[in-house]
Amino acid sequence: MMSFDQNAFLIIFTASLIAISCGLLGVFMMLRKMSMTGDAISHAVLPGIVIGFFISGSQRGVEVIVGAGLLGIIATMVIDFLRKKAKVQLDASIGITFTLLFAIGIILINLLAYKVDLDQECVLYGEIAYLPIDLWITKAGFSMGPRITWLALLNLLLVITFILLLFKELKLTSFDEGFGLVMGIPAGGINLALMSMVSYTTVSSFEAVGAILVVALLVVPPATAFLWTKNIKSLIQLTVLIGIGISIIGYYMAFWLDSSIAGMIVSVAGLVFLVSAVFNSKKYKFKSGTRLEPEALSS
Amino acid sequence: MENFLYFFSFQDASIAFIVLGITILGIGSAYVGTFSFLDNKALLGDAISHAVLPGICLGFMLAGEKNPYYIVGGAIISGSLATFLSSWLKENTKLSEDSIIAVILSTFFGLGIVLLTVIQKSGNPEMAGLNQFIFGNAIGILEEDLWVYGGLAFIIILSLSLLMKEFRLLVFNAEFGKAIGFPMDRVRLVFNILMILSVVIGIQAIGVVLMAALLITPGAAARFWTDRLSSLLILAGVFAVLSGIIGTYISFVLPQMPTGPWVVVSLSTLALISFVFAPKKGILYRFFSRRKYLTKMHRDHVLKSLYKALEEKKSGLSQSELLALYPHHKRETNRSISYLRKRSQLIIKEGFITLTSKGKSEAMRIVRLHRLWESYLNEYMNIAPDHVHDSAEKMEHLLTPELEALLDNRLKYPKLDPHQENIPRDHDEL
Amino acid sequence: MIQQVQNPILEIHDLTVSYDQSPVLWNIDLSLPEGKLVGILGPNGAGKSTLIKAIMGLVDPSGGYVRIFDKELDLVRNRISYVPQRESVDWNFPASVLDVVQMGTYGRLGLFKRPGKKEKQLALDCLEKVGMTAFAKRQISELSGGQQQRVFIARALAQESDLYLMDEPFAGVDMATETAIFQLLQEMTQEGKTILVVHHDIHSAMKYFEWIIMLNLHLVASGPKSEVVNEELLRKTYGGKLNLLTKVSDLIRQQEFNPLKN
Repeated sequence: MMSFDQNAFLIIFTASLIAISCGLLGVFMMLRKMSMTGDAISHAVLPGIVIGFFISGSQRGVEVIVGAGLLGIIATMVIDFLRKKAKVQLDASIGITFTLLFAIGIILINLLAYKVDLDQECVLYGEIAYLPIDLWITKAGFSMGPRITWLALLNLLLVITFILLLFKELKLTSFDEGFGLVMGIPAGGINLALMSMVSYTTVSSFEAVGAILVVALLVVPPATAFLWTKNIKSLIQLTVLIGIGISIIGYYMAFWLDSSIAGMIVSVAGLVFLVSAVFNSKKYKFKSGTRLEPEALSS
Repeated sequence: MENFLYFFSFQDASIAFIVLGITILGIGSAYVGTFSFLDNKALLGDAISHAVLPGICLGFMLAGEKNPYYIVGGAIISGSLATFLSSWLKENTKLSEDSIIAVILSTFFGLGIVLLTVIQKSGNPEMAGLNQFIFGNAIGILEEDLWVYGGLAFIIILSLSLLMKEFRLLVFNAEFGKAIGFPMDRVRLVFNILMILSVVIGIQAIGVVLMAALLITPGAAARFWTDRLSSLLILAGVFAVLSGIIGTYISFVLPQMPTGPWVVVSLSTLALISFVFAPKKGILYRFFSRRKYLTKMHRDHVLKSLYKALEEKKSGLSQSELLALYPHHKRETNRSISYLRKRSQLIIKEGFITLTSKGKSEAMRIVRLHRLWESYLNEYMNIAPDHVHDSAEKMEHLLTPELEALLDNRLKYPKLDPHQENIPRDHDEL
Repeated sequence: MIQQVQNPILEIHDLTVSYDQSPVLWNIDLSLPEGKLVGILGPNGAGKSTLIKAIMGLVDPSGGYVRIFDKELDLVRNRISYVPQRESVDWNFPASVLDVVQMGTYGRLGLFKRPGKKEKQLALDCLEKVGMTAFAKRQISELSGGQQQRVFIARALAQESDLYLMDEPFAGVDMATETAIFQLLQEMTQEGKTILVVHHDIHSAMKYFEWIIMLNLHLVASGPKSEVVNEELLRKTYGGKLNLLTKVSDLIRQQEFNPLKN
């Protein structure tokens, strides 16, 4: 049965909110060539989530967000430490850090399995399908609607504020970090702030789409949009549109095939990406444009 | 303890089989991984290991059970597709390698999750076995699987050993390889196939999410101990096997524990130990050799001060005079004095310190190097005489006898430095 | 031949810079007068770019210091412009020419503030100076190498500084553009601005620069063109690296730590 009921709307709405938050941050992660660092962070926050969960006793605790935020920052610092002090190359530093932290997270889940109500599969794949029954009940007993939707809304508002405030700095340091530093723009601080926003977004979204699939939402919509545009504003707009589009199609596809909604959203995103890549590939591209001088091609 | 003995005495044939399997696949993965680490392609392995999940699921769906041939076949196909796509995207789009790897990794994994849930809902009782592919369970490996995985691992190890020369070229200097007529594109193709195979055999034991660690971490850890490729490969293999066995043992003792995370934690511990303790490149070693160097530097400075006193026609310095020269380094100065005294480079008589002839010749050597370097800076590097001191203050502790000879030769055995001070020679009398 | 000046606009004192421990610049000690067009010459790998980066604080020196306008770098950042090498950024970045030039104004704007009409006008003016007005709306990925270079110069102009540091700004630029930009730079020095340019072509260097710095891992010369350009100094600059210096560098690299660092 494909019907547009209230539950379907809530799920699609929430998924879109999450996809937009991730996409907005993902645009800058991609432009900084830090998509894999984003991947690493979203894996690495797992032990923070588990410990926060253990301390607060529920997924609702602030401890979970703080724990994950801390782990995200620790992960960036460990990657930096391995690279600078231990002189391990960047990609290997990323690989070592996230696998270790993620492994610790899985071990903690298994160790604390009887003490915390945290499901390995929920953390990893998320289950947005149960969203409409997980309600936010005020103290007076009044139901405010699905809790995760509110979390996603808050998250999106913070992400938008963050980007509006620091748009110019994010743009400059993504394009030419050295130039930013020379002008006295605190590139290191801006980078750390972005990483913190990514870890916060990961935690805020993990219940719905799972820690691993957050990566897909961070990475795929911006990469797809980047294939179509050369302008940062339309890049951002297109990323948002793709985020909403894949949420809608992904939901109905999942409904139809009776499978994971988050997984299907990502699969649809993958398909859209692939089509865009073929359409915009150098081989098949006949769009007009200035011919580049050979030297420009080599750089 | 009982468990420990039971496990490691290998009296249970299936445990012996599993340990053997983990050993072979550990060596295989570490072998391939070390090459890709050296090739700066560490994260491609991560992408491939996530990317095999949909293939595994498809293999399962087609066979209707956990048949190793179908699963390995499916994994190879989706792994190859991911590898092909990543190089196609690199050539044909403006996306950076970083984005491409992240896109491939996450979409294939998403597709895998979809297939996994579809299988789950189909109610196939063998489903439980499939979940092991996410985080790995070495204990769940059956004898039949082992023949397939073991066979593949053997192929990997054999081909890498036979094509060692070609892969070495690929990693260190692919351009040069091409220039001297090696078919480098084909070598890379073979290497990518081996990488996919190594991921495929590791998945059952380690799981798709953490497989990257088995490829990256052994090589990175071993790199701290050696610069030679052969010992690097051996050491990486040893690290991988060791952590593989530890992880398997823990899964054996605590059956609810997946193997993968424990393998990764053991591997990372070994890596951490390497980063900190390895000779030459380890953090601790670097720290202590710097400390040792700083102490030697200070001893050199004490000797130099005593020598300068000689130049000023004083026979030596009183202990308090010497201490006063380094007001913030009292303890170090005292330590240097007692060290030099033990090595009979100086003698203390009623609080008055004089150089022995051995000490004098060492002090002369340092002063000579200092002044030779000053002359070199001045003459060859156009540096004004009042700017040469600081650099010489550092170089005097570093220059070797060969460089001293070379300096002397270039400067034609000078007598005076840019400050018109005597450059002391061993036969000089003071 | 190293000429020091009174009241220098830029003073580099015994600067030593290392990459991976091995020194790429040895004891650079020089001072520059105000209002000159200064060329930095030297062979490949002589440390020219490193010198610029060290002045801007983009690489940490292992010894020595830099003073600009007789102050520390952090106090005068808004009086310095920088043109990095073209290859240092990814030109696929989704931005228009005007966007990039406006980036030059970000330093003055400060955190959180957005560029407005004034900044846009300034950026357009700077584009006009480098002859790129027609390209203002163009995406930077569609530019040729020489055009990219001019965009970078315009961005530096938009910083409205007193000291300009340019790293190979003429790489890939055609002769006519090079001449036009050199004329622009000369006009700027007449207004009292000081411009340092890393340059590889000796012939055009002789034509335009007033002051020349010659580098070859160490400072070979720094002074007015007429006094430093002679056969002996050119041979010292371009005649290969000092054999002994290479050996000393190797020795230092083999240490487990950087012995030149304080």
